[in-house]
Amino acid sequence: MSSSLHAADTGPAHLPTRMPTANRPANDGKSVDDDTSRLDAVAKVTGRAKYSRDVFPKGVLFVGGIRCPWGKAKLTSIDVPGARKVAGVVDVVLEGDSGEYDGDPIGHVVAESRTALRRGLRALKVSWERLPCRTGVESADAVFGDAPDSITKALAGARHVLETEYSTPVQTHSALETHGLTVERNDENVIVHASTQGTFVVAEEVSRFIGVPRSNYEVRCEYVGGGFGAKFQIGKEGTWAATTSASQKRSAHSFCDRREEHLDTGNRPSMHARVKIGFDDDGTIRGGQIAIAGGVGVARSGGGAAFPSGRYNLGEIDAKSKNVSFNGGAPRAMRAPGHPQAAFAEELMLDEIATITGVDPLELRLRLTNDDTGSRQTMLRLGSKMIGWDRRVATGSQRGIIRRGFGIGTTSWKALRGPAQAEVVVHRDGSIEVLSGSQDIGTGFRTMIGVAAAEKLGVPLKALTVRIASSKLPEGPASGGSVTTPSVAPAVMAAALDARTKLLEVAAKQLGVEASALTIAEGEIRRGDQRDQLAMTWTDLCRVLPTETLVGRGSFDGRESPHFGKGHSHGVQFVELEVDSETGVIDLKRVIAFQSCGRVYSRKTSESQILGGVIQGASYALFENKLLDRRTGAMVNPNLEWYKILGSNDMPVIEPLLWVDDNQTGPRGLGEPPVVPTAGAIACALFNAIGEPVRHLPLTPDKVLAAITVASARQGAHS
Amino acid sequence: MSESSESSGTNENASPPFIEPTSGGSGQCGAAGVSRRGFIQTLGLSSAAAAIGARADAALAAKSPSQADAEATVLGPDAVAMPLTVNGSRTTVTAEVGATLLEVLRGPLALTGSKEVCDRGSCGGCSVLVDGALVTSCMMLAVDAIGCEVTTIEGLAQGDRLDPIQESFIRHDALQCGFCTPGLVMACKALLNHHPKPSMDQIRKGLSGNICRCGTYTNIFNAVLEASGQPVPTDAALPVLPASEPTSRQGGT
Repeated sequence: MSSSLHAADTGPAHLPTRMPTANRPANDGKSVDDDTSRLDAVAKVTGRAKYSRDVFPKGVLFVGGIRCPWGKAKLTSIDVPGARKVAGVVDVVLEGDSGEYDGDPIGHVVAESRTALRRGLRALKVSWERLPCRTGVESADAVFGDAPDSITKALAGARHVLETEYSTPVQTHSALETHGLTVERNDENVIVHASTQGTFVVAEEVSRFIGVPRSNYEVRCEYVGGGFGAKFQIGKEGTWAATTSASQKRSAHSFCDRREEHLDTGNRPSMHARVKIGFDDDGTIRGGQIAIAGGVGVARSGGGAAFPSGRYNLGEIDAKSKNVSFNGGAPRAMRAPGHPQAAFAEELMLDEIATITGVDPLELRLRLTNDDTGSRQTMLRLGSKMIGWDRRVATGSQRGIIRRGFGIGTTSWKALRGPAQAEVVVHRDGSIEVLSGSQDIGTGFRTMIGVAAAEKLGVPLKALTVRIASSKLPEGPASGGSVTTPSVAPAVMAAALDARTKLLEVAAKQLGVEASALTIAEGEIRRGDQRDQLAMTWTDLCRVLPTETLVGRGSFDGRESPHFGKGHSHGVQFVELEVDSETGVIDLKRVIAFQSCGRVYSRKTSESQILGGVIQGASYALFENKLLDRRTGAMVNPNLEWYKILGSNDMPVIEPLLWVDDNQTGPRGLGEPPVVPTAGAIACALFNAIGEPVRHLPLTPDKVLAAITVASARQGAHS
Repeated sequence: MSESSESSGTNENASPPFIEPTSGGSGQCGAAGVSRRGFIQTLGLSSAAAAIGARADAALAAKSPSQADAEATVLGPDAVAMPLTVNGSRTTVTAEVGATLLEVLRGPLALTGSKEVCDRGSCGGCSVLVDGALVTSCMMLAVDAIGCEVTTIEGLAQGDRLDPIQESFIRHDALQCGFCTPGLVMACKALLNHHPKPSMDQIRKGLSGNICRCGTYTNIFNAVLEASGQPVPTDAALPVLPASEPTSRQGGT
């Protein structure tokens, strides 16, 4: 790559990492090791990785839920004695006699085998009286508050006022490994194999039910088949595994099936947003009102949306948000909770303003962007060149069968951190362990803390074994808020430095020199002015350790510090797509995704996080929708063929660009920020292509064709 | 329900189009002389759903139901011994006749690399090769695998030597949480067996029976390209921003 980026006023610091290694910013005195592969990759590609759902201890009992099949219903009959008589059924526990949503648990069956469990559940011959239910949020739920005078004045004085509505559906996390626990019980000891993104959260929750002291009890989740925010708490299925194991004094395996996973393990809540916003001919926004209704199922909270996001100057906004309950499963945090739905509404609103005023949407965003680091503005300019923004034609001007559209979305994410502890253990045979109890749900956490430890200790990555995801290991955070790597990596680095100091003391004593004269590099103890002379091999040093293990300990208090960087992680995405105006089908062509990321510890896994964010965001935009039957409240598509997720045929070309800012030297979490902008960018690109916005996700062909019809009618009326 | 209407229909739909229908494969494959009608008549209620999706025996598919019944040995309803060949090893598993191949792999055989994700043939998480053809093992009865060569993800590497597609997956980080990975590796293996140098269109279609939730598809495409000796797309060049376009700065965050 021969081109270089001229960042006009900030020097050479703003360099995406997809540059030759030598040209990269040398954070922490080191450039990124491009070739680091995921440390658990071999286990995962060979099928050797044991997930919690893969654990079947000897004599394990299987547990399955009895669940309400309707939006609201009362149990009218159930044959518990009949089910108990089925061969292999061990227990039937009834905990309730009514359900408030499809999937609402009212009890469970325990059996010796999966077959016996299925037979037991059927033998219950449950019948229900279906009751009237409510299945979602409606337009009427989003109601403006009383606007302050200043906003009434701003709207009255604005050249244009846009008043409209946007809505998003319920999205389920759909992690491929469903929720559940395998409780392995041997005599006095219990190991809980959990599919979780919060090792220590589960340890706390399960300890209430498990019936053994914590000294004899461990939670493990070495491999987790996706979390996306839904796997902090254990849920009913986990409680059943724990209580069954405690009461039967046996191992227990309780996992949701795919249907239960859609129904009762959390979701991204739906949103209905009403907007009234005033602006002038040059795109200056005077202010206005926003009302959000978040659809939270049977929950009472969790439906908030970050609209306005604060990324744009929208003048004075009166925003009002409320939670609307209905007969559906409760939401849980989902990858940037409250953000993708808000960004969809906000970005599409901006493009509607751009179209009304005739201001180019790129130019409008450059004018309105609120970012004192300048990152997003630079990303907007660079991205527009990469996507070929000059090929974009005016919204509503295309007449062909295949129409092309371009759109932009943005994100910013506060770099959060939490307290964490870690250990680096060196053995007498020279082997090294890096220990953290936190979990890797696919983020690359395991790899990144390995790189961080290797770098600080001065050994090659392959010399380390990284052990994670156990409640017996040093405590670290749950994977929420994109905090895991940025919290644990500093603790791991501190532990590695502690181990290094202690090792050098041993070496110094052995060699009869000052420890300050020595260093560790490339797995050797070195000395000399240039620290380039071999003083002692690693093996020789470890052989003389005073104890079998030398333990380096580190902790991080979770506070912001200049060294680890602070402020927001910014991102901008550009989308190019084609729409077939005869079928309404959207063909995503290309996504350019900039994401600021702090210090990159592993390029491959970091880029994968961005790819995954874009893909999940695109899936949200085009397909995903938890559909409840309006009459019965039953989920219409509780599987993976009718609840459609973006697949190989739908993939655009995606360019992930890791953006390194000079004020961000520490690691940053990348799980959430890249999923925020995509749906909005796609909705804007669709609007650009067909001339009429589709304001309600998902952007399915029926809605696209209806919008095209509206656009055509308007064009007909004008001509 | 007739034998013919049931014959491998679901499987053909679930499998990528480049795979020959498995019922056209080896006549040896499948429980010799076992009638699916017999299964459905004798099985417990648990197995009907699995049986509906199962692949018909090649010989039976060509015969009328009455012919097939006359020649059939009826198994079940009790558990039966099934001689299976998995990853080159012959083994006999005792399982209920209604058990799917996936249940037998994950349970008695402890081969948990094949994942149960949807349990209805729509996600590919349980993909294995049966006589070289890609099969969603949740949609095949274990008894139908009698006489077949079953290859699971655990059988792909030769000891510590990984298959080239596994190596490429690692190099291109074509995995995140890893739960879909075994199924996708098997789908890629089947694709490459059939198309040694697949086009991008063939790759997309070939993997369309597999769902990944983390979003690894584009890296998987690159892994397949590399494993088939084809060039992998390079990163786009960064454009040059002219100095006359200064970065605008407004307000504060």
